[in-house]
This record gives sequence, C-alpha cells and structure tokens, in this order.
Amino acid sequence: MSLGLFFALLGAALAGATSGVGSAMGVGIAGQAAAGVCTDNPDMFSKVLILQLLPGTQGIYGLLIAFICLSQIGIMGGGADTAMSLSTGLLYFAACLPVIIVEPISAINQGRTSVASIAMVGKREETFGKSMIFPAMVETYAILALLISILAIFGVSAL
Amino acid sequence: MSVVPMKRISVIALRKDRKAVLEYLQVLGAVQISFKRKEDDLFQKVDMSSRKQVFEKNAHDAEEALAILKRNVPEKKPLGAMFTGRTTLSLDEFQDVYGRREQIMHTVRKVIRLDKKQADTVSSIPKLEDQKKSLEPWMNFDLPLDLRETEKTAVFTGTLQGQYTRETLYTQIRQTAKDVEAFDCDIISSDAVQTCIFLVCEKKDREIIREALRRMNFAAPPNSGMNPSERMKQIDAEIQAAEDKLKGYQKEFEQLAAARNDIRFASDYFTARADKYGVISELLQTRRVFCLEGYVPENIADALKGKLEEKFDIAVSIKDPGKKEKVPVLLKNNAFAAPLEGVTESYSLPGKGEIDPTMVAACFYYILFGIMLSDAAYGLLLFLGTTLILLLYGKKMEPGQKKTYRMFQFCGISTTFWGFMFGSFFGDAPAVIGRTFMGNPDAGLNPFWFEPLSEPMRMLSFCFLLALIHMFVGLGVKGYIYLRDGKKMDFLYDCVFWYVLLISCIVWLLTVPSMAGMLELSTLPGWLAYPAQALALVSAIGIILTGGRESKNWFKRILKGLYALYGISGWLSDVLSYSRLLALGLATGVIATVFNSMGSMGGNTPFGIVMFIVIFTIGNVLNLAINALGAYVHTNRLTYVEFFGKFYDGGGKKFQPFTQNTKYYKVKEDF
Repeated sequence: MSLGLFFALLGAALAGATSGVGSAMGVGIAGQAAAGVCTDNPDMFSKVLILQLLPGTQGIYGLLIAFICLSQIGIMGGGADTAMSLSTGLLYFAACLPVIIVEPISAINQGRTSVASIAMVGKREETFGKSMIFPAMVETYAILALLISILAIFGVSAL
Repeated sequence: MSVVPMKRISVIALRKDRKAVLEYLQVLGAVQISFKRKEDDLFQKVDMSSRKQVFEKNAHDAEEALAILKRNVPEKKPLGAMFTGRTTLSLDEFQDVYGRREQIMHTVRKVIRLDKKQADTVSSIPKLEDQKKSLEPWMNFDLPLDLRETEKTAVFTGTLQGQYTRETLYTQIRQTAKDVEAFDCDIISSDAVQTCIFLVCEKKDREIIREALRRMNFAAPPNSGMNPSERMKQIDAEIQAAEDKLKGYQKEFEQLAAARNDIRFASDYFTARADKYGVISELLQTRRVFCLEGYVPENIADALKGKLEEKFDIAVSIKDPGKKEKVPVLLKNNAFAAPLEGVTESYSLPGKGEIDPTMVAACFYYILFGIMLSDAAYGLLLFLGTTLILLLYGKKMEPGQKKTYRMFQFCGISTTFWGFMFGSFFGDAPAVIGRTFMGNPDAGLNPFWFEPLSEPMRMLSFCFLLALIHMFVGLGVKGYIYLRDGKKMDFLYDCVFWYVLLISCIVWLLTVPSMAGMLELSTLPGWLAYPAQALALVSAIGIILTGGRESKNWFKRILKGLYALYGISGWLSDVLSYSRLLALGLATGVIATVFNSMGSMGGNTPFGIVMFIVIFTIGNVLNLAINALGAYVHTNRLTYVEFFGKFYDGGGKKFQPFTQNTKYYKVKEDF
C-alpha cells in the first residue's frame, strides 16, 4: 500500500480531531460562564445556552470536511484506492489544512467572545440579539476556511 | 411596514378623579407618560415615594410567600404551562379579589411567619441530636449528672480526655492527691477519645481532688438535673415533638397553598399600585387638578380621547409631537412580517427618520433560514411542532412569545421548500432505508433543483447571487430614504454610483473565462468588458469625488473619497460571508447522512432495524436542534451585519406605555 492513502486519511482525521478539540474548549469555557449566570438567574438558561453552543459549530465543520474527505477517498462507502499516489494523498492533506488550522483557533476565540457575551446578557437581558452577533463574527473565518477546504477537496478529487 | 405614528396627549383632570383616571389608563396601557412641561408656581410634583415603598414592600412580601409555598408545597404545572402567558381577568373577577386584598395580605404574613417558625424548629432538631450524642457515654450512669455532693461526700462527675483503665486512673490521681485517704472512682465508659468517670471522696478532700482532676483536663458532663436515661427519653420526646410540629406546619402550608392564586394576584396588584404611585410622583398637580402628558399611538388617540371624556370630567388635547422630539417607537406589521419585529427590536428600533426594516428583512429572513437548514423533514417537523403549539396555546400566549413561534413556523415552511429543492429528507434517509431495508438500490429523493453536495460550486454561485440581491435591496432601501427626504444628490452619490460600480465590476469579472468557469456560469461576451470597465472607472471617480463630500477641504475630501471607494472590499467580504449558506446547508445534510449510515450498519435484520430506529431518532433530533440553532444565529447575523449594515442605524426608544406590568394576571379592557 502506498503512503498516499495514509496522508489523505491523516488530513481527514486531523480535520475532525483539531476542530473537535477546539469546539470542546470553546463550548467548555462558555459553559462555565453560562452556569455562573444561571446561578444568579435561572430564567436566563435558554439564552445563555444558545450563546454557549455557538463555538460548537467548528466541530461540525471539521466533521463535515472529515466526512467529505473520507467519502472522496473511499474509506467511507467502500472502494478505497489503496494505490493512491503519494502526491494525491498529500494534495488531500493540504486541502484539509485550512480546517485543521483555523477551526480550533476560531472555536477557542469564539468561546472567549461567548463568555463576554454571556456576561453581557447576564447583566442586561435585552441585549441578547446584539450579544449573539459578536461570537458569530468570529465564526466567519471558520466558515471561510471550511469553504476553501470543501472547494479544494472537490478540486483534488476531480484531478 | 411601518412605525406607528405617535401623538402627544395632554390631560387635565380633577384631582378627585386621579385614582380612577390613572387606573383606567393603566388597564388600557395605551399611553407612555412623558412630561415636557416643567414645574412652576402653580403646577407642582407631589412626592409619593414613601407610599410607593409600602406597596413595593407588600408586593415583595407576596413574592416571598409564593417562594416559600413553592418550596414547601411544590406545584404541579399543567402541561404546556411554558407556553401560556398571564391569565386574563375580567373586571368583575378583579373587583372580587381586589375586595379581599387585606385578607390576602394577612395570609401572606401568615405564610412568612410560619416559614420563620418552621426554620426555628428545623434548626432545633440538630441541637437536640447533639445533646443525645453527648449523653450516650453516660447511659450506664443512674444518678443525675449535676450531683455535686451528698451529706458527707463530694462528688465529681465528668470526662477526662483519652482512655483510662481503673489502674491508670488511680495512679494519675494519686500523683497529685498523695495524702487523700479514701476516694472511690468508677469508670462509666471509656473510649479512645474520652473517659467518663464518677468519683466520690470526703468533703475535706474536695479541693485537692479537684486540682488532681484539673491537671488531667477534667471537664463537666452535659448539664442535666435528671439521670441520663431519663434525660435521653426527654430529648427523644422533644425531637418527636419538633417533628410533629414540622408535620403540622407542612399541613398548614398545604392549606395556605390554596390561596396561592390570590397571593399571585396580590403581588401583581401591589406591583401595579406601586407603578401607579411612581406615576403620581411624576404628575404635575395643583390643589384641585392634575396634569398628565405623554405619547399615544395615533390610531387610537381619538378613541382614547372619546373614552376619557365620556367617563370623567376631563380636558384631553391631542397634538403632533414637536419636530425635534425623540418619539418612542411602536412597530406595526402585517402577519407575514410581524413575527420578525422581535428580531428588529433585538438589533435596535428605527431611529428618527428611519423606516421600519422588518418587512424587507422578513422577505429574506425566511429564505435564508430555509437554505441554511435545508431539509424537508426538519422543516416539516419545525412547521408541525410550532403549528401544534400555536393551535393549542396560541390564545393564552403572550404576544412576544407567539411571534417567535410564528416566525419558526414560517421558517419551517421555507425549510421544507428548500429541502425538496435540494433533495434532502432527514439527509439521505429515503436512499438509506430503500437500500438497506427494501432492497432497492435506486431509491432516494431526487432534488427538484440540484444537490449541493455533488455540485458545491453551483450552490456557491447561488449563494453569491442571493447575497447580491439581498445587499442591493438593502442599498435600495437607503436610496428610498434619500428620495423620500428629497435628497436626490445623495441618492446619486451613495446609491447610484455604487450600483453602477458593483454591477459593472461583476459584468467585467464574468467576461473573464476562468472566473466564470470557476463559478460554473457561462462566460459573458468579451466585448462587454470595455463598457463595463469604463462604467466602473466613471463611478469609481464619482465615489472618490463625492464620498467625503461633508469635508470642505478638497485634500481631505479626496482622501475620504478614496477611503469610501475602499469600501468595495467590504462588499467583497460581505458577499463571501454568504458562503455560510452553503456551509450550514451542507452541514445539516452531511451530519444526517453520517447518522443514517451509522444506523444502517446493522443491516436488514430485526436487530438492525431496531438499531436504525434508535440511532436515526437520536441523531436526527440532535442534528435538528444544533442546526436550527445555527440557522437562527447566522440568519440573524446576515440580517444584522450584511443587510442592516447597508442602510439601517436604529437607535429608537421603545414605546413603553403605562400599563399593568404584572407577572401573573392582566385585566382586560378593550378599545
């Protein structure tokens, strides 16, 4: 078996792994802040829960890329190309890089922003609409990275 | 699509009617109190804050009583309680409970007193238990523990630290009390921590024995005039009594809990009354009349005037607000857009001279949400769920909550539509079920349009197209406001130039084959490039010259103009931002697909079918929850940042009428 498939799989696995780690950290720190607000005011539960969940999407984007990559290289759905050339494998790996690098950093920072937003909602409930936007801004770059990875994977598989 | 126009109302009425007028206005909830007139020699404010405090205290007590009752007699909430709002009372019902308000407050105080008693009793039990514990080592002792002497002898009863045997004890005492002829010492009980002893000696040796024991850290026993086993029985009886008392309190609480609704009413009533006294403090009053000013929505202004004049001896005047006044904002929209008023309000209400953006925003909001969730089954679930809730509880709901459900109902319809367009029904569930359980490899839901996962670039182009339409409409609204205000040149500079620049740039880009190819669009004929370039250049120069037109200094003005032109990069990033439609749409489908294929791994066996049902249900519920949340947040973001950013600043203050600001009940009085 050539190393090509290994690198393609490595890309998919890392995409799922780093994003998951980042989201876990982001949702984690936001959850601590959310629990703090809830001790004072249990009625805020649904609002702070939404803010806590915002950094969770990066994990989903990682999953998305992992899944697309796995199905393109045939590890999922059958027909894996065990003779994949090293260069093709590295191309898949490179295509996964934006997600591998950007998602965890974006998730952690979005988590921090969520913490601030949760504090904001805790003090002034009526600012909920605005408080949601600050973390959502951070997510833009996670989405752009996801976009590049999707396009690159489909591009590589069309080669 | 509108902000309700406001009128200024000013009312002058007799002071004897003050209570009635204010209560009537409070029930109607149509006037926001706001004074322009200042205090003068004639009209003065009267401070009512001390009376207000009395009512606030009552309301607070009632809330405390409710909390106590909730703690002791938990209430079973009827199914759907979270959907129902405040209960509506008719005026008659109101009068009935109102008449009993003193009695209710009596109950409230009873509850609070009972709570104190309960707390005392509860805390007395551990004390008794402690006593019991300290008495246990003495259970073999059958004399009162406070026995100090008999006729001839002195008696020491107490504890020594550490463990002693008879021998060690005697040796230790002998060390100090060498000369004592006779004493007798019994060990009642002994463990590693302490030894309980009983010592008898002659009265003349009392001091020396005391000294001997002091050196051994002798401590007095638990104080009791009875012998330990009797005392033990007594304590048990006391604990029993305390527990019986608690049971009694619990029964009393249960009886008092019947008055819960009355107490809720009292809480509301006194809150409303405190609010009213807050308003009275604001009123300008003379000895015989008082004056009240405020805002009232135009559409009910005349009806209100008629009603007030019919009921009271009163002078009501309705005027247009002054040009510079910051009039409070009330939104009114048709059934299609009204559910989104909350979204607008979360951002900011329209400021002076702005239009209500809810209607235009609504047109796109539902579409964007639908594309992000884009699964027909999820859409149907969302639609059916919200419809069911609205049918069952719609009438009892508070208006704000109802709007939210209505919004998700519409979003559900849109999601269903886009789900069918893109061929997603619980992800690829039809195909998986067909393949695994029906033995039909060709099964599957064919998209009406195309499948984004297999043609992502096509989907991306569609997202960008939608982005341009969305933001061009936003820019158009800005133009509309300019034209409405007669600012024709501003319309040319800030809208027309941008339209021309952006459209000509797009045309230009699409004449480049590689660009058009990447977006999977057909290339425009090459000759179009030249007029497009020329138009782009002209409009860019226009923007450079006019973008900083508020500066008089030409140098500054050009610099600001260049900066304004740099805004085109903002347009680029805004367009790219809509790629989240693709990303979130794909995420929904892919995660559902993952769960479906996980579920189908058991194959077409009885076990496999059960496994599929379990994984399918859990996975899809989870996926729906997470992605509905994502769609909601990101639709808001696109609306707030990309769309509102083009034309809308907000900054208006919400219309907050003087009303029954209550938690549980509202009294109904219609126009």
